[in-house]
Amino acid sequence: MQVFDLGSVGSTTELTTAREAGLVACRRCGQVEAMSTSHCRRCGGKLRSRDTQSLQKVWAWLIAGMIAYIPANLYPMLITDSITHKSSSTIIGGVIELVDLGSVGIAIVIFVASVMIPVGKFLAIGYLAISVHRKSTLNMHQRNVLFDVVEFIGRWSMIDVFVVAILSALVQLEAVATINPGIAAVSFALSVVFTMLAAQSFDPRMIWDASKGQA
Amino acid sequence: MSDPTPAEMNVRPARASLSWVWLVPLLALAVSLFVAWQNYAQRGTLIDIIFQSAEGITAGETVLKFRDVEVGRVEKVSLTADLFDVVVSVRVEKDYAEFIDKDATFWLVQPDVSLRGVTGLETVLSGVFIEGSWDATFTEEAYEFYAEAAAPLSTLDALGTSIVLLMRDGSSIAAGAPILHKGIKVGFLEEPELTLDGPGVRVNGFINFPYDRNLTTATRFWDTSGFSISLGTSGVELDVNSLASLIEGGVAFDTVVSGGEPVSNGFEFDLFTDESAARDSVFTNPNTPVIEVAVLFDGSVKGLTKGSQVQFQGIRVGQVSDLNAVVDDSGDVSTVQLRAVLQIETGRLGMTADVSDEDAIGLLSDLVSQGLRARLSTQNILSGSLVVELRQDDTLPPGRLDLSQRPYPTIPTTADAISDVAQTTEDVLARIENLPVEELMQGAIDLMASVERLTNDENTRAIPSDVAGLIGDARALVSSDEIQQITPNLLATISDLDLLVKSFTEAQLAEGLADALATTSNAAQNVASGTENLPQISDQLEALIANINALELAALVAEATETLERVDTLFASDAVAGLPASVETTLADARSVLAGAEAFISSEDLTALPTDLRATIATINSVAAEIDEANVTEQLVSAIESANNAAKSIETASDGLPKVVEELDKLATSANELALDELVASATQTLSSIDGLVGAEGMDELPQSLNTSVAEIERLLADLRNGGAIENLNLALTSAAEAAQAIETAADALPQLAARADALVRQTQSVVEGYSERSRFNTETLATLRDIQEAADAISSLARTIQRNPSSLLTGR
Repeated sequence: MQVFDLGSVGSTTELTTAREAGLVACRRCGQVEAMSTSHCRRCGGKLRSRDTQSLQKVWAWLIAGMIAYIPANLYPMLITDSITHKSSSTIIGGVIELVDLGSVGIAIVIFVASVMIPVGKFLAIGYLAISVHRKSTLNMHQRNVLFDVVEFIGRWSMIDVFVVAILSALVQLEAVATINPGIAAVSFALSVVFTMLAAQSFDPRMIWDASKGQA
Repeated sequence: MSDPTPAEMNVRPARASLSWVWLVPLLALAVSLFVAWQNYAQRGTLIDIIFQSAEGITAGETVLKFRDVEVGRVEKVSLTADLFDVVVSVRVEKDYAEFIDKDATFWLVQPDVSLRGVTGLETVLSGVFIEGSWDATFTEEAYEFYAEAAAPLSTLDALGTSIVLLMRDGSSIAAGAPILHKGIKVGFLEEPELTLDGPGVRVNGFINFPYDRNLTTATRFWDTSGFSISLGTSGVELDVNSLASLIEGGVAFDTVVSGGEPVSNGFEFDLFTDESAARDSVFTNPNTPVIEVAVLFDGSVKGLTKGSQVQFQGIRVGQVSDLNAVVDDSGDVSTVQLRAVLQIETGRLGMTADVSDEDAIGLLSDLVSQGLRARLSTQNILSGSLVVELRQDDTLPPGRLDLSQRPYPTIPTTADAISDVAQTTEDVLARIENLPVEELMQGAIDLMASVERLTNDENTRAIPSDVAGLIGDARALVSSDEIQQITPNLLATISDLDLLVKSFTEAQLAEGLADALATTSNAAQNVASGTENLPQISDQLEALIANINALELAALVAEATETLERVDTLFASDAVAGLPASVETTLADARSVLAGAEAFISSEDLTALPTDLRATIATINSVAAEIDEANVTEQLVSAIESANNAAKSIETASDGLPKVVEELDKLATSANELALDELVASATQTLSSIDGLVGAEGMDELPQSLNTSVAEIERLLADLRNGGAIENLNLALTSAAEAAQAIETAADALPQLAARADALVRQTQSVVEGYSERSRFNTETLATLRDIQEAADAISSLARTIQRNPSSLLTGR
């Protein structure tokens, strides 16, 4: 009987992948099936040991997200009409304005959600994709964690879009004050969606393949 | 337990094919690029507008508007390199930017509260904006503009006409002052500015469409700024225009006469000080050539001002353009003279418009040599304003236009014709003061006292009652039956006289009487002479009768009978048939006779009585005169004498008459024995023939002829009415006037009558006083007085009636 020595965390050299074991796991429900199984018996999902187009998709979504992120920063996020004033602010403009007004906390939140997280995701996904492509064996566990973090945090970067959506819905006082979403809101939302899709397209199992390939 | 056999790996080779996911970034890229390109392509033109200050302008917010439509947005506000101006970079939308050329103007719109209203209120909330104005034609491209300090009153694209007003000073006009036309604001004035080449002020104005259609070269503008108070003979006149024009000033215009040419933009008008001046100027060309001459006055020119009229023979020919003092030190002592510079419009002096100044001066010089002089003359005695009058006086020695005086030739002066109303009034007052008012008043008081004394006198008071009594007496007199009877009697007399005169006239008595008398006289003489032979005649008659007796009367009777038979035959013959015509002729004659008679009768109108009376009297006079002339009396005497003689002769002659009678008797006896029966039968037959004649056809026409005659008589009467009646009426009126005059004359005798009546009244009064105790007598006397009163009333009414209608005296009504 073959003992699966899962070994200690941090060393991957002794790890046996499911693929090596002739198994394939359903990515949706976690059901493990024999390698030859084409569909998950539990959820009916299509079972594939490796997504051969994963990297392509990642890059494609990532680039789309990055393209969408450009207008999201160039164009105004919020268009505020009041009796005396009509202002439109971009993401960074809004942050700076908030800082100027003294709302540093909110400024940080928005800055993190709208700038740091998206940019961080771009960088993280790009790093993951490149490292898989190079079949890097470094920090395999950390990269896996990184992927988890990216996938988890991705949805939270929509906070800016939510703010705009809620404000636009609430502040429609016609003549007195009106807030409308700008082009940046749509762009930003698209960017987030694209980035999430990029993260989802990434097959983290490929992280481990590098070590196997080397072995 | 066997180890699980690793399942056979079903490893598919990695496919090199591209994932569809790549479409997403490609699409995103394409969209982004498209948006970017579109953004860039639609990006407007950047223009720089240079302001003195960027007050209220915010980059990214302040917009550029054209006709209140947003066409651009300020992108950047910066300073010029020398930090002197602000450069506002405006991104203008491409569609509109292509029209912005070098003529475009920009200005900042800010809230503006003025008398003309509040403008730019929207900028209070929204912030300032930049307004631009340009037209639809592109001339020359430009990207840098200097902003206007204030909104221009007329924008380039506005419809209307811009004009230029020239005025003496601009103190009464502020920018934005209205241009009024018939009280309606039709345009603006801009900021007045000094003319660079002259002393005046010019101001640009703009008149909106469609009111600029009323502009012609004959249009006149005048200043309506502020208010004016004029004190004249018609009272105080306060003229206030709109509140805005009161403070900001304003001008009005009107085109009083037709015939002007339409004006183009920038046409220059003169601004007149008031409406009347503007209207007065309509009939003059303000650009008419003038010559300037000077007049030196020795005395005061108080009342003469710049602008005072210069009149030539009463016609305005120019005005005083300047007044100043000049020192004349040509003599021993320097004297100060006052020099008035006159602007004389040569056209007003009858010269053509293109006459040169030299020719005009030459003509003026000629006029001066013929006696033209300048003098001051009063224009208005109330205000004491003066005019310079150029007066042509041929009696003056030839003068000389002093061309040596610089800078103006000088016209000699003559005595001023200033009527100093103050001095005159003073003189009048002095005279009034010198009047002997007190004496006059005293005299009046004395006169009043005398009059009072007179009126208080008892005798004076008795006068009215005496007069009343007198009039009563006169009334009684007039109302007495005798006097009342006068009128009918008078009328009857007049009719009698009239009849008499009529018969006189009819018979042509005067001549007829004379002739008759003469004839009678002759006849009487003939009778007288005839009767001398009467005895012989008697003898001869006797012989004749004897002869007759001896005649064969039987044969005679037979012959007579035969004759009658012939007459009979004659009547029966055709010739006699023409007799009715003859009878008609006879009737016509009778008609004419009737006409004559009618003519006479128609003149017998009662209204013509006076005429007839006068005529009658005249006729009587003339008859009498004629009778006198004709020695009728003598003739009558002689005729009577002749008659007497004749009578005597007859008397003597009658002595032989018995014989004659006897002879006649014999003759008659003989005649009796004649066959008279046959004669009578013949005569009877003759008469029956005549009867038949009368019954003949011709006689039937006689009534018609008579009718015609009557009609003719009627026509005759009508003619008489139409013809003679008016004459008669005139004569009657003349007579009435004469009668009235006669009555007037008779009334002259009334004072005497009054005096007598007065005496009568006094007597009556005394009698009444004597019998005052006896009441019955008193009553009777009162009744008598009442009768007298009534009589007086009657005579007064009669007198009034006669006065009103004198003809009633004649007609008896």
